[in-house]
Amino acid sequence: MSDQPQVKSSPSFFNNPRNRSIIYQALLLIGLTYFFYSIVSNTLANLEARGIQSGYDFLFTTAGFDILMSLVPYDATHTYGKTFIVGLLNTILVSTIGIILSTMVGFIMGVAHFSHNLLIRKLAVSYVETFRNIPLLLQIFFWYFAVLAALPSARQSLSLGEAVFLNVRGLYIPGLNAESGAGLVYAAFAIAIISIFLLRRWAKKRQDETGQQFPVFSTSIAIFIGLPLIALFVAGIPFTWDFPVLKGFNFRGGITIIPELMALALALTVYTGAFIAEAVRAGVQAVPHGQTEAARSIGLKESKIMKLIIVPQAMRVIVPLLNSEYQSLVKNSTLATAIGYPDLFTVFVGTTLNQTGQAIEIVFMTMAVYFVINMSISFVMNRFNASVSLAER
Amino acid sequence: MKEFKPLPDQPAPNDVVGPIHWIKENLFSSPLNTLATLLILAFLGTVIPPLLDWLIFSANWTGTNQSACTNEGACWVFVIAWSKQFFYGSYPAEELWRINACLIALVAIIIASYRLHKDLRNKVAIPLFLLLPFISILILDGSWIGLEYVSTDYWGGFSLNVLLAAASIIVAFPLSFLWALGRRSDMPFIKSVSIILIEFFRGVPVLALFFMGSVMLPLFFPEGTNVDKLLRVWIVLTLFMSGYMAEVFRGGFQAVPNGQYEAADSLGLGFWQKTLLIILPQVIKISMPNILATFVMLFKNTTFLLIIGIFEMLSTTQTALTNSNWLGGHSTEGYLFVAIVFWICCFSMSLISSSIERKLDTSHKN
Repeated sequence: MSDQPQVKSSPSFFNNPRNRSIIYQALLLIGLTYFFYSIVSNTLANLEARGIQSGYDFLFTTAGFDILMSLVPYDATHTYGKTFIVGLLNTILVSTIGIILSTMVGFIMGVAHFSHNLLIRKLAVSYVETFRNIPLLLQIFFWYFAVLAALPSARQSLSLGEAVFLNVRGLYIPGLNAESGAGLVYAAFAIAIISIFLLRRWAKKRQDETGQQFPVFSTSIAIFIGLPLIALFVAGIPFTWDFPVLKGFNFRGGITIIPELMALALALTVYTGAFIAEAVRAGVQAVPHGQTEAARSIGLKESKIMKLIIVPQAMRVIVPLLNSEYQSLVKNSTLATAIGYPDLFTVFVGTTLNQTGQAIEIVFMTMAVYFVINMSISFVMNRFNASVSLAER
Repeated sequence: MKEFKPLPDQPAPNDVVGPIHWIKENLFSSPLNTLATLLILAFLGTVIPPLLDWLIFSANWTGTNQSACTNEGACWVFVIAWSKQFFYGSYPAEELWRINACLIALVAIIIASYRLHKDLRNKVAIPLFLLLPFISILILDGSWIGLEYVSTDYWGGFSLNVLLAAASIIVAFPLSFLWALGRRSDMPFIKSVSIILIEFFRGVPVLALFFMGSVMLPLFFPEGTNVDKLLRVWIVLTLFMSGYMAEVFRGGFQAVPNGQYEAADSLGLGFWQKTLLIILPQVIKISMPNILATFVMLFKNTTFLLIIGIFEMLSTTQTALTNSNWLGGHSTEGYLFVAIVFWICCFSMSLISSSIERKLDTSHKN
């Protein structure tokens, strides 16, 4: 009987998974604590040695440098805090332009991949494969130093109907000056958007209940254009054009788009557009062919098949990919610093950091901004994704 | 009785097979398509001949300085004259064999990992891979192994892009694997630390990380410590790459069927045996296309080093473009050359990646 080996009822102390996990985590905690302790103490010692006061007081001192382009009034007498706002707005501007344009380019090129025309297909493929595989910084340099720098001077500007001018100093487009009564037009826009939203909900509810369809799309467009147009005439056209005019060596008036912004927006659009095109292609390809056949066999029209069967299923694949492409576009917009477009990175991490030496505060604020922007993109896209994703049973 | 004789096969009618049908189907299937085809052909017809002329036929190919560029077309003399700088930076001319040796070693190990027998592969190729970055540093630096010392200020050019990218991904491999394991772990503290690390390095622009490396890292070390600029960049690139690769690995872990874990458990394998012998090989196989895609991104991002003043290829090109002997607006030629070099590397990697994907794809799609 005693030949049987004794089997211990519980494992030894170190073989118990619970104890092990406590030991591992305690070790990690000790290591991290030591790591952060040494970093913090070294940093404090270093800051003291260099005579840098930590804290955010520098945000309220006068900056004393000019910024190439600003969406809000700014000059050298404003504070460092204001440079942060200026940079942030410029970052948001170029990211928004980039996201809108690259989505358009990407969707067109992605759909072109399924064209019946061989040449269009090949063009789409070569666009994607060319621009996806060339570093973005190189593309920015190419547009900025090789293409835009080769444009003619102000006197020999390329022009479009005496209203739009393109030269080496930038793109000049007419601006709109709002006069009294413009508020009515803005209000009309807001009302139009809200009523379209309500109309869609009502139409969907009616279709769910009675099966009757309502031409939502054409009605929406009519509301969106018609309502502001009526307001425009009621208010007596409260806008005047502000055309750019050549005075001396440069253009005055209108809206100036500086070449730095053009180069950056172009490069971001072309580069990210290639990735979005690839995402769209992957999304459409992920819809099995059987779906199209099934839709045909129940008698749907080709246009309805695309809208009701293919696109909703493709969007499930496309939207998460779009989310990450948009986020990397925002992160890539920091490359502005290479050509001097005054985005948050150039202005704040570049000039402001150089002048104040407040490395930790500035890098921390900048990182926080990019985190917040990316979180918001992620939040919006995840909401959108939830609306297109498959309802799991 | 009459014998049944089948008629000889008729050739298929010309409007369903053959080149004419093919052209009709692909280029002129509808009026709109015909219009598109004609427009594209007209566009290509006006763009391509002058482009080819500029690129090749009236380009300048021979000579050593700017005065040789007399023709209308591209001045390739510029690229040829600077090609050594583009590839090796300002590394001393008589020591270039050291860079070549590192590059050859890299290629040799990659080939070896394909060709070697699988027993040897795990015992020889993997340790060599992991040691390669450190051996390369010894060889390139030279001061520890009795060769002439070459400061990292002289390292540069395309070879620096390649070596930095390779060194970063090699170190990032084990690191990101640990982070991905940590993210899947049941231990709450380890899990949250891993998530913070991964999301931090994925969420912050890589440029901000480089600035952190060059502005903030010196503050973190005790006073007087001087960490080499290139070493800091390597650390930053490795951590950045690890964040992305950890997510790739996480996807791979999720794709391994649960039965594999259970089978390993039922064989009585311990955690590390299970993970390293059963799960890891499958994870790497599944994630290979994504690992390559991440590597392509890292490789393209090595050009960003220009901004913090490291002489990688694009930076060398910028220097060459502003050289007083070559002030003639050669920017298009210079950028085109760099673009072609990067394009060839990245495109071939994406071809490899899609061929692996096709090999792994065993589903029945139409």
